[in-house]
Amino acid sequence: MAATRKTVDPAVAEQKLAKLTPRLKDLEARVAAETDPKKRQKLMAQIVTVEEKIKQVKTGERMTRQQKRDLIAYSFIAPNFIGFAVFTLGPVIFAFVLAFLKWDGNTAMEFAAFDNFMEMFGNSRFTASFKNTIIYCIATVPMTLAAAIGLAVVLNQKIKGRNFFRTVSFFPYVASLVAVAAVWNMLFSPAKSGPVNMLLYNVFHVAANKLPKWAASKDWVMFTIVLFSVWKNMGYYMVIYLAGLQGINAELYEAASLDGAGSWQKFRYITWPQLQPTTFFVTIILTINCFKVYDIVYMLAGGSNGVINESAIVLVYHIYEEAFRNWNLGYASAVAMVLFLLVLAVTIVQFRGEKKYAN
Amino acid sequence: MKKRFVSLTLAASLAAASLAGCGGSTSDATTAAPAAPAETTAAAAGNDAEKPAETTAAASGENTTLKWSVWDISLTTYYEPLIEAFEAAHPGVTVEMVDLGSSDYQTVLATELTGSGSDFDVVCIKDVPGYATLVNKGVLEPLNDKIQADGIDLSMYGGITDQVTVDGNLYELPFRSDFWVLFYNKDVFDAAGIEYPSNDMTFEQYDELARKLTVTDPGQEVYGAHYHTWRSAIQLFGILDGKNSIVGGTYDFTKPYYEMILKQQQDGVCQDYATLKTSSLHYSGAFSQGNVGMMNMGSWFIPTLIDKIKTGEYTDCTNWGLAKYPHAEGVEPGSTLATITALAIPTSAPNKDLAWEFVKFVTGEEGAEIIASTGSIPASMNESIAEMVASVEGFPADDSSKEALQTANLYLEMPVHPKSAEIETVLNEAHDGIMTESITIDEGIAQMNEKIGAILAE
Repeated sequence: MAATRKTVDPAVAEQKLAKLTPRLKDLEARVAAETDPKKRQKLMAQIVTVEEKIKQVKTGERMTRQQKRDLIAYSFIAPNFIGFAVFTLGPVIFAFVLAFLKWDGNTAMEFAAFDNFMEMFGNSRFTASFKNTIIYCIATVPMTLAAAIGLAVVLNQKIKGRNFFRTVSFFPYVASLVAVAAVWNMLFSPAKSGPVNMLLYNVFHVAANKLPKWAASKDWVMFTIVLFSVWKNMGYYMVIYLAGLQGINAELYEAASLDGAGSWQKFRYITWPQLQPTTFFVTIILTINCFKVYDIVYMLAGGSNGVINESAIVLVYHIYEEAFRNWNLGYASAVAMVLFLLVLAVTIVQFRGEKKYAN
Repeated sequence: MKKRFVSLTLAASLAAASLAGCGGSTSDATTAAPAAPAETTAAAAGNDAEKPAETTAAASGENTTLKWSVWDISLTTYYEPLIEAFEAAHPGVTVEMVDLGSSDYQTVLATELTGSGSDFDVVCIKDVPGYATLVNKGVLEPLNDKIQADGIDLSMYGGITDQVTVDGNLYELPFRSDFWVLFYNKDVFDAAGIEYPSNDMTFEQYDELARKLTVTDPGQEVYGAHYHTWRSAIQLFGILDGKNSIVGGTYDFTKPYYEMILKQQQDGVCQDYATLKTSSLHYSGAFSQGNVGMMNMGSWFIPTLIDKIKTGEYTDCTNWGLAKYPHAEGVEPGSTLATITALAIPTSAPNKDLAWEFVKFVTGEEGAEIIASTGSIPASMNESIAEMVASVEGFPADDSSKEALQTANLYLEMPVHPKSAEIETVLNEAHDGIMTESITIDEGIAQMNEKIGAILAE
């Protein structure tokens, strides 16, 4: 600490004190007169700051105690924040700027104003990807939610091999996407000899030429992707629901039993309302993740050359394709902005809702 | 207030630093550029102003590493011998290969060459759309001056270099030129008691032959023909008459071929496109199962086939042959699709002169002989080199297969066009729609006409 101390120039200190002391007096007077507790608190905080400053001038320290504390706090944030700034914040800001430019990564940038945004409406791959992303979200979110809550409720009961089944349902989430996607494409092979199609043909007697071609058909591809996505992600959300279920007071169920409630009534009037905060959280996270979907689509519908058709293309893939195949970096950034706005809208809903469900 | 100010300054300065990092390293590249063999540096000193004088002092003897971007190191047999021969002729030079993967090679390469910071000296160019992209981005060094200075005779490439010249500038030199042929499995023909395909077949005869070979009994299927999922395997039958172009804007000429192959698919003559697509079955896997009669594929499959049969990996297609591509009525047999693999020098290359030496070596006669000796088809073709390819151990011994290597007219799978990447997307999409029967042939053609028309009109 001795290092930060310097000799006090009495004249300068005197000058500063002359300014600070009346300010303190003034603040103290205002606090005494103030009735609104919130404003009062603000004024109190100001008083503390001024007092600290007076102390600093008197002792001749370089920094007030508060400033020191702040610096220590910043030093804790710094490692994370520097990484964030370099790898996330910088590129994000750059992408915002890029959305209004025309650039291929090498030649000079040109200002394009809103051309990139106008171009989107005429691009059939953009409209298709926008539509598909929305369809995917609308289909995936409720189905995953239902599957997750169903699994959680069942696996929260005291049944034999409970842990085994919990692991089994969590497994798809941790399994490698590439590997399980290959297995799915095998199961849902478009040929008559594919396991699922064979079942449809032999058990349900679907005509051979009416058998769905799953990921290879423009009408079935989104369905296949949604089904796969639900299966892959339900385990993760099941775990969140399980945690939520543990938090419900057992006395509520006991009381309900005494009143003669059946299992459905217990679910409907105790479990479901008690799980609302969890459901809200899961819905938001799921929706945001759905907007970001890319890998599943690429693996299931990409085929050998990785080109996705308008029947399955999603926003993130469209961004990738425009940016790194066609090198329209400006246009791709503009599409990214649209995606950003979509996610932002969901996040705003989340912020509003959080206030409601916080307690 | 103060906190916000501190964090904002922090953020701003870091963002600035990260952006500055993108544009920094150009000056290093020139100082690091060293040690080309004496004669080339001397030659370069004259025409290359940006190179500092001390490079000549660096001279030979010092070790230089050339960085070369390639794909499929383990599957390609000629990289090693080429490098060995080059290193033997240029002491102190090491060539280091960097494998960027085969499936999205061009995308990765374009990303590598975007901005500064890449230190590739020589890059392979895998396909023409990828070449067009890089030329548009201005990251490739024009080679005209060097070609003229060293008096390289472009006629040895059979006119293919003219097709990749952009605005009078040539940015790549081909070292391999592959063309499509018909691979057939002799055992399948023998089992059916049918004569092998000839080098002069019309599409009608080809269709008839494929149908004769086909067996549809469950469990013992034999497919008369096999088409890989690439659009070029079917769509491009239409451009072989020389009257139509794949970037022309109208695609009605593809109709008869789509009709023929869809009919084959429905009748079980070839495997279902949808199944092939979702299972991502490689064409080599399909052919090696021994139940495919004929498969149209590029000549790049020849060395793979020879190699895999030699190592014992493929046991059901050891008795194979080659035939010329089928042709439309009135078109000269031997008209086929071609695709070139080339070398180029990025503008950011640290050792440009040495890189040019390497390009010259690989694309020239010496390189061609080495490539031919591994069974691949080099770009600079002449009688003796064709003989070398056919005399590789494992190449079918019959004269008809050798004759299949003689081509009449070569058409690039994709000509150089500034919009080729976008056109490619539309073509792929229509092909996929037609082959999975999601849309009818007419709808597919209408889609191509409309969308590519719009792209070309831009």
